[in-house]
Amino acid sequence: MRLGFLVDLSRCMGCMACAVSCKAENNVPLESWRLRVKYIDQGEFPETKRHYVPLRCNHCENAPCERICPVSALHYLPNGIVNVDHTRCIGCASCMMACPYNAIYIDPLTNSADKCTYCAHRIEVGLMPACVVACPTHANIFGDLDDPESEISKYLQEHRDVMVRKPELNTKPKHFYVRGSTVALDPLASERPEGFTLFTEVKFLEHIGGH
Amino acid sequence: MLGAEVTFDVALPKVVWGWLVSTNMWAKSISTGAFFVGLYFIKKYPDQDAFFRKWLPILGLIFIGITLLVTILDLHHMFRFWKIFLFAHFTSAVTLGAWVVSAYVLILLIAFWSWVTGNRKLFDRVVIPGFIFAFFSTIYTAGILGQSTGREVWIFSAEMISMLLSATLAGSAAYLLIGSIYGSLNEKMKKELGYILFGSAGLLAAMFIGELVFAKMHSEYAEKVVEILAFGEVAPWFWGGMFLAFIVPMVLVGIATEKRKYEYALLGSISALVGLWLIKHAWLIAPQSLPLS
Repeated sequence: MRLGFLVDLSRCMGCMACAVSCKAENNVPLESWRLRVKYIDQGEFPETKRHYVPLRCNHCENAPCERICPVSALHYLPNGIVNVDHTRCIGCASCMMACPYNAIYIDPLTNSADKCTYCAHRIEVGLMPACVVACPTHANIFGDLDDPESEISKYLQEHRDVMVRKPELNTKPKHFYVRGSTVALDPLASERPEGFTLFTEVKFLEHIGGH
Repeated sequence: MLGAEVTFDVALPKVVWGWLVSTNMWAKSISTGAFFVGLYFIKKYPDQDAFFRKWLPILGLIFIGITLLVTILDLHHMFRFWKIFLFAHFTSAVTLGAWVVSAYVLILLIAFWSWVTGNRKLFDRVVIPGFIFAFFSTIYTAGILGQSTGREVWIFSAEMISMLLSATLAGSAAYLLIGSIYGSLNEKMKKELGYILFGSAGLLAAMFIGELVFAKMHSEYAEKVVEILAFGEVAPWFWGGMFLAFIVPMVLVGIATEKRKYEYALLGSISALVGLWLIKHAWLIAPQSLPLS
């Protein structure tokens, strides 16, 4: 079993129900988030568009947080979830530095690292993660990536625009996005600055602009 | 449709590792630098090595002590520090560092005992393992920065060389400082320490400037970090560090060695040590100033 998440970005309307349900389910302190929805505005008036992107732990197969944790407080569960052992964490914050997705925080109450666990405690008793249940448009799709009949596997097979965040880092995330765009996942990529790169000179023509 | 920007985000706190970690790297540079530079002089001038046989363990122990103290203070669960030895996870550079530094402390204690008892052979027997543990104690932080996948300007190979040069810079500056205060170094040694400091400062400055020019080519993220470092909120730390750690010491130590005015070397050493902290702090916090989301 390899549990994964998929977000159909065309369905997400930025209502934040997932973020609120996550905080309620997991007692996430006020200043921290396990799941949040980012807004990205694209274009110039009147031709504009807003993207909503839910962000949570990617439960990478090659997780940098698991690798850097000096005491194995971050560890893999047999179902692929990257879990946190709060009693073992020494609070060095290395995992926060290693995670390229900004998905880990230090809980001010327990002083231990914490993050989205795909609601491992709910999964254990056969329930869906809280954010999946709360989503009014079923934008969050959760299931077993190894089961070809699961909804998430079918979604991955049927869509050709499957994306992950920062694929170049080779973290192998198990959190996918479909029907999105590059700027939604990486807003900085919308602007390639002028200047010299290793092999080319990037220069934009005036009538095209810098984006 | 043109461009895109984030209009709403509640990214987690920016700076995770702050001044305690900068101080860790700075103090470790002095400790291991004192070992490297001290060892060089002990081997090169075996008849005039009393100064280095005394100050190598003293400087080494004081500054590795500061390193360990700030490391533990930086932990959110400082009383669980022992778990790093009991539940060691050896894929982590943090774990490897803890073990290697522990071994290095042991070597320094032997060196200290060797100086106290006057048993020179005792220290001579642990010179090779001492060098190995000092080397890995210097570079393990580069491993931690390299494992910080999200911060693209930290690249292990560059950080490793930078940390070794920081060590020789800090070690030579510390000996020049102590030597100037106690007046127990001969002119040849002062001159040689000056050359080590001058060379380390020059190479380290070239590395930082090289990173400024080339790091931004890695990605849009790295480009933004370089912008923050050179022109943004971190710029005063960075350029202050560049000036105090490299330019001032190179000029003052250059004058001191050429004109034989060693009071300039004292000022140059202080400047190098202050500047090294500033530049390490700037380099540490700049990549943390951007939300990774």
